[in-house]
Amino acid sequence: MSGAADGGPDLAGLDVLAVEDETLVAMLLEHMLTALGCNVVGPVLRLARAEEIVDSGQPLDAAVLDVNIGGERIFGVAERLLERGVPLVFATGYGADVLPEMYRACGILPKPYQQEDVERALKAALRARDRTG
Amino acid sequence: MSDLRDAALAPAAAWRDVAGPAHVDFRAVFDAIPSPYMVLDRELRYVAANPAYQGVTMRSLDELLGGKIFDLFPNEGESGWRLRQSFQRVLETGAADTIAYLPYAIPRPDERGGGLEQRYWTAVHTPLLDERGEVAFIVQNTVDVTEIARLRRATSLPFRMVHGESDLLQRAREAERAKEQLLDEADDFRRLFQQAPGMIAVLSGPEHVYTFVNDACRRFVGGRDIIGLRVREAFPETDGQALFDLLDQVYRTGSPRSGEAIRVVMPEQAPAEPLQEAFIDFSFAPIFGPDGEVTGIFAQGTDRTDGVRAQERQQLLLDELNHRVKNTLATVQSIATQTLRGQADPEAARAVFVARIVALSQAHNLLSRSNWAGAELRDLLVQELTPYGPERFRLSGPVVRVPPRAALALGMVFHELATNAAKHGALTSERGRVEVGWGLRDAEGCRWLSLSWRERDGPGVAPPGRPGFGTRLIRMSLEGELGGSTDLRFEPEGLTLAVSIPLPPGWR
Repeated sequence: MSGAADGGPDLAGLDVLAVEDETLVAMLLEHMLTALGCNVVGPVLRLARAEEIVDSGQPLDAAVLDVNIGGERIFGVAERLLERGVPLVFATGYGADVLPEMYRACGILPKPYQQEDVERALKAALRARDRTG
Repeated sequence: MSDLRDAALAPAAAWRDVAGPAHVDFRAVFDAIPSPYMVLDRELRYVAANPAYQGVTMRSLDELLGGKIFDLFPNEGESGWRLRQSFQRVLETGAADTIAYLPYAIPRPDERGGGLEQRYWTAVHTPLLDERGEVAFIVQNTVDVTEIARLRRATSLPFRMVHGESDLLQRAREAERAKEQLLDEADDFRRLFQQAPGMIAVLSGPEHVYTFVNDACRRFVGGRDIIGLRVREAFPETDGQALFDLLDQVYRTGSPRSGEAIRVVMPEQAPAEPLQEAFIDFSFAPIFGPDGEVTGIFAQGTDRTDGVRAQERQQLLLDELNHRVKNTLATVQSIATQTLRGQADPEAARAVFVARIVALSQAHNLLSRSNWAGAELRDLLVQELTPYGPERFRLSGPVVRVPPRAALALGMVFHELATNAAKHGALTSERGRVEVGWGLRDAEGCRWLSLSWRERDGPGVAPPGRPGFGTRLIRMSLEGELGGSTDLRFEPEGLTLAVSIPLPPGWR
């Protein structure tokens, strides 16, 4: 399931933070990440909880972030994760243009998405991180 | 009173004396002035008329001199009456009198086809006083404004501002100040434009100088006086070229141009205030001079700022709608994936899937009925439990309205609980029933909804081997999404669920 069908870094065993405010979508994302072999941190459905996890300094290998969390934007959390060098993938029902310039290089996951999309976006984000050092 | 013919000639000599060493021949000046002048005595008989006057009236000096003005140019109408009144005022008061605008037909000489020719005039009547200070003569300076009047009609302009005509305007203003109460055509036009609801401005010359702005236009610019300013000066912060390009094109090509929702930045009212922008629909029409050259631009504007803002809001709403649709599709995708996964019986899986979609849809219905202001907790429960018969459940609690997110979450949770009860719990037995009670309490600076779902008199239930869809949904939606707490127990009596969820601050 986690097969490196298109090559690239293996996702198995990675600690991936999942932030998504819709319960049903969060359940699906959790399922997909688990199927890809990741250890899901979360899923986190509220911004305050996401901030707590970032505050705790818990090690993270990557994060899949819904842009709109309960009517608020995720960018405060995203900025701190980016500072820590955590590869980011943004899930959104809006277009890619909702992302501020600084995140344009991050992975984008248009909703609704499939497991292959999550895999591809995560691997692209990891590769981008590795390239920039 | 001297002989009329002498009087016609005498002033030249008198004036020459006054002129002194310069030796200016004022008779020659009188004749050379391009503007029409004539002199009447107290009986309103012609005593002098310069060639310009003879030209515009199509009469020779011989025809005029000695004749009474109202015999030569009879007019029994309002215009004749106004002209008489003006002469009368000069004779009585010894002060000059102005008629800004006077429609006055004159008889066309037979060699020019005869009949009457409608003309429009403006006239200033100045008294000439004798040694005793009494009015001996009236000097009339009149200008034939027929062409302007016709042009005004042709273009529906309130007036023009080009060289040589500004003195006419000056007279019009004098006339307005005068006691003359007559509504004159020009005033009507001017008032019409002045008070028109749309913005109207007249721009003059290649630099587009404001020569007229109506009330709507003046209000738009915050009451500033922009007469005499170039458009670029009036709106210096408007960097976009659209407005200036349009104006330049109209002036260069002589063709009308229009532009929709053109952005105009208002000049700073005070340095601290932020710049204000507006969006205007413009329509620019060229104004032509007598020689066919463009002399200015007639500008009309409609403030579309509110409309543009509404459009922006609509775009935001569309983006939001798009976002919600995508999220809803992702939700349905999630229900499908999790319902169908690992199900041996496709028909059973299909039924469960459809029931879940319907539950979600019903919660949506309740919310849309309230315009997404929230949903009654009781309604959410009744919707899910009614299919099993009203005798199978008991609801007790105050009227509580829950916010949209909680309504959707609780709707799905109640659906999972009810179907579980019907499949494994209290609703499988004849006697089994479901009791749901709820209440509100204030704690930790926030209002909490406490709810208990209790199944009675059903078969004994055991916890499932591993958490199923319903169990995960309860935890994730009520704890994760809504920030509440849940306590799910499988008691010998039946399943019980205690829920506590915080309501948003200020929620009632």
